[in-house]
Amino acid sequence: MFAAEQVTGPAPIRRRYELTTIFLVVLSYTLLASTPAAADELDEDISQLRADVASLAGEVFALEEDILHPADSQVTVFLTLARKDALTLHSVELYVDDTPVASHLYTGREFAALQQGGVQQLYTGNLPHGDHVLRAVLTARAANNRYVRRESSHQFRKRPGEFRIQMSLEARAPDYEPQISFREWK
Amino acid sequence: MVVSSVDRCLRVFAQRVSVAMLLAITLLSSGTASARTEENLATGLTRFALASGSPEQSLVYARNLSGYPGAWLKAQALMALGQTNEARILLQRLIEGEHQRGAAALALARIALDEGEETEAQQRFQIAADAGYGEVRQQALYELAELERRAGHRDRAGRILSAMEAGYWAALGYMNLAADYSKRDLNPARALVALRVALAMSEHDTISERSSNLRSQLLVRAGYLSYQNEEYEKAIGFLEQVPLESYHTPRALYFHGLALTARDKHRAAMQSWHRAKKYPLAYPGVQDTWLGMGRGYDLSGYLGQAGEAYLAANASYEGERVTLRNLASQIQRDGAWKTLVQDARDFEAQWFLADSRTLTQPRMAYLLRFMEDPAAQDAVGKVSDLARVEALLEEKANNLQVFRSSLKNRLATRAKLASSYSESFLARLAILRGRIEGLRDKTGRPVHLETLNRFARILQDIEASLTLLGDRLANRDARLEHLLQKTDAFLARIQVLRSRAASLRARAESKLDDLALAFVNKHDDRMAHALDKTEQQIAHLYEYLALESLERGGP
Repeated sequence: MFAAEQVTGPAPIRRRYELTTIFLVVLSYTLLASTPAAADELDEDISQLRADVASLAGEVFALEEDILHPADSQVTVFLTLARKDALTLHSVELYVDDTPVASHLYTGREFAALQQGGVQQLYTGNLPHGDHVLRAVLTARAANNRYVRRESSHQFRKRPGEFRIQMSLEARAPDYEPQISFREWK
Repeated sequence: MVVSSVDRCLRVFAQRVSVAMLLAITLLSSGTASARTEENLATGLTRFALASGSPEQSLVYARNLSGYPGAWLKAQALMALGQTNEARILLQRLIEGEHQRGAAALALARIALDEGEETEAQQRFQIAADAGYGEVRQQALYELAELERRAGHRDRAGRILSAMEAGYWAALGYMNLAADYSKRDLNPARALVALRVALAMSEHDTISERSSNLRSQLLVRAGYLSYQNEEYEKAIGFLEQVPLESYHTPRALYFHGLALTARDKHRAAMQSWHRAKKYPLAYPGVQDTWLGMGRGYDLSGYLGQAGEAYLAANASYEGERVTLRNLASQIQRDGAWKTLVQDARDFEAQWFLADSRTLTQPRMAYLLRFMEDPAAQDAVGKVSDLARVEALLEEKANNLQVFRSSLKNRLATRAKLASSYSESFLARLAILRGRIEGLRDKTGRPVHLETLNRFARILQDIEASLTLLGDRLANRDARLEHLLQKTDAFLARIQVLRSRAASLRARAESKLDDLALAFVNKHDDRMAHALDKTEQQIAHLYEYLALESLERGGP
């Protein structure tokens, strides 16, 4: 009594449906196939841009150094840790002839890098020849869990040519008193 | 006689040769020591720049580094900059060497995994597990177990995990294994055992924040599985251990309420849900707690309050839909990067409110939920990288513009002749020297003499600089011209890079917008579904109340 319903439309309409279906299948396939490719292309483009920017940053850095800090008057201060478990460094402030020139708050990663032998370029500037005083103020947590704030000074004579000072932090048992030692590199 | 003179000549010659050799060795060794100092300094600077999030700067310091620490640091900087092809060469060299073999193999394996090369990744992870120590070895073993688990070999994954040391990576591996078991098994016993092992393993993690977060996640999962297995007391036991400040707390409170309801402790359950209601609706479980409150009152026999609770839930879902619609229109107008990421970052809360706002601010809640999706993490990471690149380029361009105007100013002012400088300075130096000599004659105190000697040395330094001044002044203009040309060339390059970065950022942001809008729409659908549920509950309740009143013969 009830026959199964069949699609019996005229042939051109059916062909149109078929063509539409094929078009949709091809389109969806193209979209599916093109999405990861587009993402890969974007990744590739970003990666290429980052490489170009890194290369430019290096060259601009060299130019900046060249313009800003002529070797004859240049002074650079580096910071290192002499003992890696001596203290947990929070901040360092640096003064040259009582003028604040640099300050830094340390993140966990930066402090870990110092513990692994990292060297921080804390200050680069220009100074005239003659006597100067470098003063460093540090805040830290000593190995015996004490909060400490210490100041240390170093008198140096700026001579012609590039001049570098290494500031090294340490705190020895039993009192874990932080100490800053200065070393001049000619 | 002749023999003795020849002998003497030979002895003198030998002495001279040995002195010359000693001198050469001293010079050579001092040169080597100096080179070593420079290398150590560059290594240290590279390491610090890498740790402070400046991979570009670390590559500058590492450019002349050779040998093991240099290659490893350079490879890390290249990977941070996404230059995997260049990093791959260095990492391959490290694997073939003696140092950092494990870490290099692990990094190479991750690159291979990202590129879909699972077989190569497995080989690299195996090298990392064999050659690495500590965290590197544990990570490599975890990745090997994950590869086996994903391939459906859960027993092999379990065997690898059982050989691992207790800690974060082993706990993570067992948690994933438990997720697999819970999906496949009808009985959650195996999954619960794996979660218990994971909980025990996580206690050995030395990084407390990471360990606490993982533990909360494990406890919620264990609580849920126990609840599903109708072990309600066990579920309550697990869920009560979840800390209240955790990201997983709202969900834990919801499950806790469910377990208590199953024990017919409706009042206690509603206390848990009341607490969970304080969190934004974005978090999983919170939307259900609003419904749970109505159901709790209903089961306790307080039908009027149940109706009020359902109406409150209704209003809350309606409000959330408005928030979501606003969020969607803001994403369409300003972009997802500004709406979800930057605005959430710029919220100026006092530091003592910072913790509570993280979990209770709706926008932050949606950001956290959105960032659970790896595709969203990738899309946000890309925009963030490009924003950083744009900021870097802008900073460099600004600096170079300042340098450019300064160089032009200096070129515009003609330098005086070196001789005119030198003559006046040398005359002043001579006067000062004379004064020092005069003072030296007058005093015999060592302190004074030391000070005068220091002054004399400074004058000597100044004189040395003055002698070089002539050459420097002669080359001044040529040098300034050269620097100006270089500055202009860099400015042109920066311009090109900035336009490239802007176009890439537009592409990346459009992708992020699509993902964020899909996410917001999904949450809107969730709210619409919740709204349907509360309306059904309210209808049932009113129907019941009407029937009751009919039965009582009321109007």
